[in-house]
Amino acid sequence: MNAMLACCDRDAERERDATSLREVLAVEDVRKTFVEGSQKVEVLRGVSLAVDQGEVVALEGPSGSGKTTLLSIMGCILTPSAGRIRVAGREVSGDESALRDVRKRSIGFVFQQYNLFPALTAQENVEYALNVKGVRGRGAAAEAARVLELVGLGDRKRFLPRDLSGGQKQRVAIARALAGAPEVLLADEPTANLDTAVGTQILELFQKLAKDENKGLVIVTHDPKVRNVADRVVGIRDGRLSNPQEH
Amino acid sequence: MVSLARKNLLHDRLRFVITVAGVAFAVTLVLVQVGLFLGLLGKATVTIENSSADIWVTSRETPNVDFAHSFPETTVLRVRGVAGVERADNAIVQFMNIMLPSGAEEGCLVYGLEDFSSWNLPWDVESGDPTELRRGDFILMDRSAERRFGPFAVGEYREILGHRFKIIGATRQAASFTTAPVVFMDFRRAQGLQQTVHNKTSYILVKVAPGHDKAQVAARIRAVTPYNDVYTREEWAARSRNYWVVSTGLGMNMGITVFLGILVGIVVVAQTLYTSAVEHVKEFGTVKAIGGSNWDIYKILGEQALIAAVVGYTIGAAMSFGMRPLLAQLHLNVLVSPQFAATVFAGTVLMCLGAAMLSFKRVAGIDPALVFRA
Repeated sequence: MNAMLACCDRDAERERDATSLREVLAVEDVRKTFVEGSQKVEVLRGVSLAVDQGEVVALEGPSGSGKTTLLSIMGCILTPSAGRIRVAGREVSGDESALRDVRKRSIGFVFQQYNLFPALTAQENVEYALNVKGVRGRGAAAEAARVLELVGLGDRKRFLPRDLSGGQKQRVAIARALAGAPEVLLADEPTANLDTAVGTQILELFQKLAKDENKGLVIVTHDPKVRNVADRVVGIRDGRLSNPQEH
Repeated sequence: MVSLARKNLLHDRLRFVITVAGVAFAVTLVLVQVGLFLGLLGKATVTIENSSADIWVTSRETPNVDFAHSFPETTVLRVRGVAGVERADNAIVQFMNIMLPSGAEEGCLVYGLEDFSSWNLPWDVESGDPTELRRGDFILMDRSAERRFGPFAVGEYREILGHRFKIIGATRQAASFTTAPVVFMDFRRAQGLQQTVHNKTSYILVKVAPGHDKAQVAARIRAVTPYNDVYTREEWAARSRNYWVVSTGLGMNMGITVFLGILVGIVVVAQTLYTSAVEHVKEFGTVKAIGGSNWDIYKILGEQALIAAVVGYTIGAAMSFGMRPLLAQLHLNVLVSPQFAATVFAGTVLMCLGAAMLSFKRVAGIDPALVFRA
């Protein structure tokens, strides 16, 4: 009897391990309430979402639906009022230094406005992010060069952001997000400032990287083209997920 | 390691130039003004520091070496009897009027001793022999007197309080804080020129015998000269300096100059760093979003402040040293010792870091979520 129980426990453990390997990001029943003056505004009302390795999830919703708040919570920039977050199999607490640690190790951000450091070259932008994550010296330089090659900017390493096109800037931002091998990539309207052709290239790059590098990718977007690369499209409206669907 | 601080600073060259100019201005102001002050103050004690007297006996409450009061010359006999005194001589330091060839009358500061060579006075002789002074109505005049009295030559005569004296040589570096030119003559002749110092002296210069403690000998002299003050060389120099610093308001004036210099530096550096911090707020938000802490941002601001301090100080110090020959032509001595230069450098670094700290509060409150705002 005991042997049988032990065997079942091992099976359950293996199943848990397999699950935690596959799932890189999960939010469970997350709620977020902001206080504005004397009013409480509930922006997220019990959102649950899980993202697996190599999966591309598109998060769609109108302005004010709560998608940026959800992205901030998934990115450990904001703490939820209630609910749980798990990143790379690790439960995330509300402590700021713990959140920062998760951001450093497990999450890469890509922003609508690129948010590159204008005084740094493409190589330095990526290298600086690695420095912040604790990678220094030749290791940082080599990793920065690697990820810039990966996004097709190996020949633009010494260029300042002002000398790069919008698409190239976004590629640098993607390289920066990839640096340090985070498990999760979070992209906020990454194609909003790009024309259709460049936007499509960037989305295809995202898809390729998610698959090749085994990243969980969440793209917050209004861009219908994202549906072409997403494994799953999730709608959000009034703080609730509306139409989780396989794509 | 990539230095975002340095790159940002050099990226906005105009702001960097303004910051560095502000620091350089503050450094130049402090170095030149305080250097001039110290140079001027050096004149207040130059004879004390160059003479070989270990102890000075003065009349009660004499405020500084230039403003001497007289006391009986026989006091020296008591001092000579004190254990540990190797030699003690009277010295007269007295303002007297001198008649110039133009007919104008000016003031000069007369130093009268019986044996100049025993006291290393004057210490920088251009021409003539101080030991000759006791042989007649002779004087040695400091070359700096030419600024007030006009040119003079050895062999010429000048009238001091109606007595004709022959200039038998010239000295250098002898000066008084009051700018009255210094003239050296024999003690007895100086005594004879003015009624107020007949049979009197201004000071007793004391040399301590080898193996004796200066402070202990001074204490013994105090015991036998109850109506005098007794100072070691260092005490007397400090008293003379303090008189000019405190009594004339020069110290306060200098304090205000230094304060203004620091204020200008802080305002310029704080203003430019704060503006820079505000303009780079989204970048700092990005630093936080990618896992950086407030400390990472403080380090950026601190490094920028440090660069501004080092570059600004270097330029300011170079300007100050460059101005020295020009000021020397105006007979202004800028005295900058290595210790003073090091103090100003440390002050500059503190000033810049202090100014940077004013931006810390602004960046500490940056919400990394702002990176999601378009």
